[in-house]
Amino acid sequence: MKKTVAYILFITAFTFLLASCSKSTTTVVAPLTATTVRDLPADTIIGITAQGQPYGAGKYTFYSLEKNTIIANTDSATTKWDLAFSGTKILTNGGTSGMGLGGAFVQVGLFDDLKTISADSVFKTDNAPTSYAVTYGSGKGWYTYDPINNLITPLAGRVLVIKTASGKYAKVEIIAYYKGGATLATTATDAEKMSKQRYYTFRYIFQPNGTKVF
Amino acid sequence: MNKRILFIFITLVLMSWTKSLAQTKFRKDSLGFYSDTLFVTANKSERQIKNISVPISIINSKNIIQSGSTRLSDVLREQTGITITSGFGAGVQLQGLNPDYTIILIDGEPLIGRTAGVLDLNRIAVGNIKKIEIVKGPSSSLYGSEAMAGVINIITDKKSNDALNTSIRYGSYKTFDGNISLIKKWNKIRFQSFYNNYSTDGFSVRPNSNNRFITPITRSTFTQNIQYNVTNKTSIEGSFRYNKENIKSIIAVANNGTTIYSNGNEANNDLNGAFIINHQFNDKIKTKLNTYYTQYESKQDLLTVSGNPYNDLFQQNFKRVEDQTEWKLNKSLNSIVGFGWITEKVNSTRYDNVDSAKNNTIKYFYNQWEWNAGKKLVANVGFRYDDNKNYASALSPKASFLYKMNSQLRFKLSIGRGFKAPDFRQLYLNFTNTAAGSYSVFGAVEAQKIITKLNQLGQIGNLYSNYYQLKKLEAEYATGIHLSAEWEPNSSNEIQIQVFRNDINNLIDVQQVGNYISGSQIYSYLNIKNAYTTGLEIETKQKYNSYWSSSFGYQFLITGDKDQIAKIKSGIVYTKNADGTSRLLTLDDYVGLPNTSKHRFQAKLNYENKDGVYANIRAIYRSKWAVANINGNEVYDNGDQFGKGYISLNFSTGKQFKNGWALQTGIDNINNHIDGMNLPNLAGRTYYMVLKYSIQNKK
Repeated sequence: MKKTVAYILFITAFTFLLASCSKSTTTVVAPLTATTVRDLPADTIIGITAQGQPYGAGKYTFYSLEKNTIIANTDSATTKWDLAFSGTKILTNGGTSGMGLGGAFVQVGLFDDLKTISADSVFKTDNAPTSYAVTYGSGKGWYTYDPINNLITPLAGRVLVIKTASGKYAKVEIIAYYKGGATLATTATDAEKMSKQRYYTFRYIFQPNGTKVF
Repeated sequence: MNKRILFIFITLVLMSWTKSLAQTKFRKDSLGFYSDTLFVTANKSERQIKNISVPISIINSKNIIQSGSTRLSDVLREQTGITITSGFGAGVQLQGLNPDYTIILIDGEPLIGRTAGVLDLNRIAVGNIKKIEIVKGPSSSLYGSEAMAGVINIITDKKSNDALNTSIRYGSYKTFDGNISLIKKWNKIRFQSFYNNYSTDGFSVRPNSNNRFITPITRSTFTQNIQYNVTNKTSIEGSFRYNKENIKSIIAVANNGTTIYSNGNEANNDLNGAFIINHQFNDKIKTKLNTYYTQYESKQDLLTVSGNPYNDLFQQNFKRVEDQTEWKLNKSLNSIVGFGWITEKVNSTRYDNVDSAKNNTIKYFYNQWEWNAGKKLVANVGFRYDDNKNYASALSPKASFLYKMNSQLRFKLSIGRGFKAPDFRQLYLNFTNTAAGSYSVFGAVEAQKIITKLNQLGQIGNLYSNYYQLKKLEAEYATGIHLSAEWEPNSSNEIQIQVFRNDINNLIDVQQVGNYISGSQIYSYLNIKNAYTTGLEIETKQKYNSYWSSSFGYQFLITGDKDQIAKIKSGIVYTKNADGTSRLLTLDDYVGLPNTSKHRFQAKLNYENKDGVYANIRAIYRSKWAVANINGNEVYDNGDQFGKGYISLNFSTGKQFKNGWALQTGIDNINNHIDGMNLPNLAGRTYYMVLKYSIQNKK
């Protein structure tokens, strides 16, 4: 009997020993100067084609980082806006997209770690439809598309380094592509995935003094 | 339906016919692993289980019968260290390694017919199984170097006396399982025959729904075995097995937010036959000449609702001639020498061209020495040499040692190396899934040819950097090391503790290499990973009194991709915080290889009395496992998609009557755990009843 008790104790102790694993968490504190834009609609879905492809009205939402506001579509041919959103496509005000000095590139790294845009960085400009300053496509720019769950997830560790229409600099991190500021659960209904997508939540820091330092 | 009625009719006729003979013999079973059970897989001839030096597990028929299992997947799901994977049927994951690396044998002969590396264990009926032997790790040189995770050998009942066993089982979801097995011995001839018929209406979460996790299936298996002892020194043996399954497929595939339904039929069948000559030259040397042929065919005919046909044909055959000689040099030294020749052929619509068959030839040689050094030490040292026509030849050395400290305590150490050449699929696949969004998977040999052609046609959207790294695939290599201790403090307690580590280099995996203009993905195969699995297994059995006994099993498993770990350590992998901002991924977030669970637990409580009444309750626990990388950092971490950890409870009870009848009833998945997305092989709560009738000649 003694032996049996010792034996059970042995097993229990062993199991507990294995089951106890510690976890540590790190938190990133955003700088106070970062601005968060929530639920910015980007050509939200208004219907589904006969082939099953969802579609919107085909219009971009124009945004000024400098003024932190939406710019009316009637001002699309001005330098009032810095970024334009439609579905997963993001335009900058330059190249084939606009008359401003805008451009961008996608940097791998953390938003907070980007303190200075290095002097040798090259800002790309939009050259529709072949290439865009903010690289377009799953896994290439700022997001990845999961065809099984039909979800768009922003890639971790991607900073959109932006040159604004007026030639100043900003950094942007996309938080979510769904209304509510978080990527939907894989188990969300198709209807929910359809109605809540194409709403951007992002944070950014705009440097008004024209330098590349944040 | 007719088949079922016929089946019941035949059974009843046979029963009444032989009723006068009815006498059932109760076999006395001892507790468990270390009783005087014989083990055949490790040395290809029988050894006392206590003298086996490689890491093993054994499942006896009583366990299989009392748990009410009908398919091999049901049996293995309840074993320590084994996880049943889903996707392309029910595959076996041994010690965290994919199903590709485990060889499944029936009476020592390999089964073929894998889809994406998975051999569907639902194909194998367990009605005529005497025991299942499992050798873990790349520790056996006798069955093929690709057995880097292990070997599962299903031993059918061939040795008992004349017997007729029949059983009928009926349960939820209109699941029917019927078995007839007959063993007859004459003076020099032994004959064994088995027939199994299984059908199910399938399982869906919503009643009357068209979309089922488990589709309606009918399966039948027929085996025959005959052995003729020509003289006391020579015997010949022929065996034949035919298995056929028909699956009514109703597939729903979601792509871009739309769900496409396809309807159709899938027919799979496999056939195998062996012809064996055994000859004993003298009391020291015996040889076995074995000719084995097996073929597998899978045919899928689907039609999507929009009218796109999806047809698929896969045919494979495998021929092997082998001679194996066992030489007893003296009382303590034994040598097995074997050599053989395998040809393999595959035709498939999934490959570049259905008319051009893919061939491979392997010539192999193995030698294994078994040394009983005194009473305490057993050593097994051996190697296998494979000369693969399409791939370089390779040598796989193995060594294992058993040290018997005293009658209660034993230690084992096993070290082995294995290699696996790329299979035909990884080389030649040319597959575009029109039923699911038109993504393509191309084998490594074909990928560049096909993509170049598609590019000229302007169909390629973009190519990833790894497309340019596509080249001739190299073989995968594995090394495994296993250390175990077995302890029997008294006759009612047994415990086994095992520590293992397996390393696989050059692991071949599928990776996206580009996109079509339409955005659909293009995949191919690359040697991308250096993976490892390591962990610990504990198994205990205890007997409380003459009625009650229990067993527990636990596996702790850590897996990982070494290249990814190196990337995480160098601080170039990111993940998202709960608020959507990014941070660096740490090793704490890393969860290792997909489909592997850190904890697995099995418990079984068993009651049995002398009047043949028994009852058991079994619990299986599996902790969460990663199923898909959804946060796009190419590493499986806590931010990805997981299958939720779960417990499933099974209960069964029955009575064996003295006149040969037996009755059993049970409930599987009592707690009704359903996870259609991640556990498509697990049906909801299932009730069943079994009626059995056996007669056995007393001898």
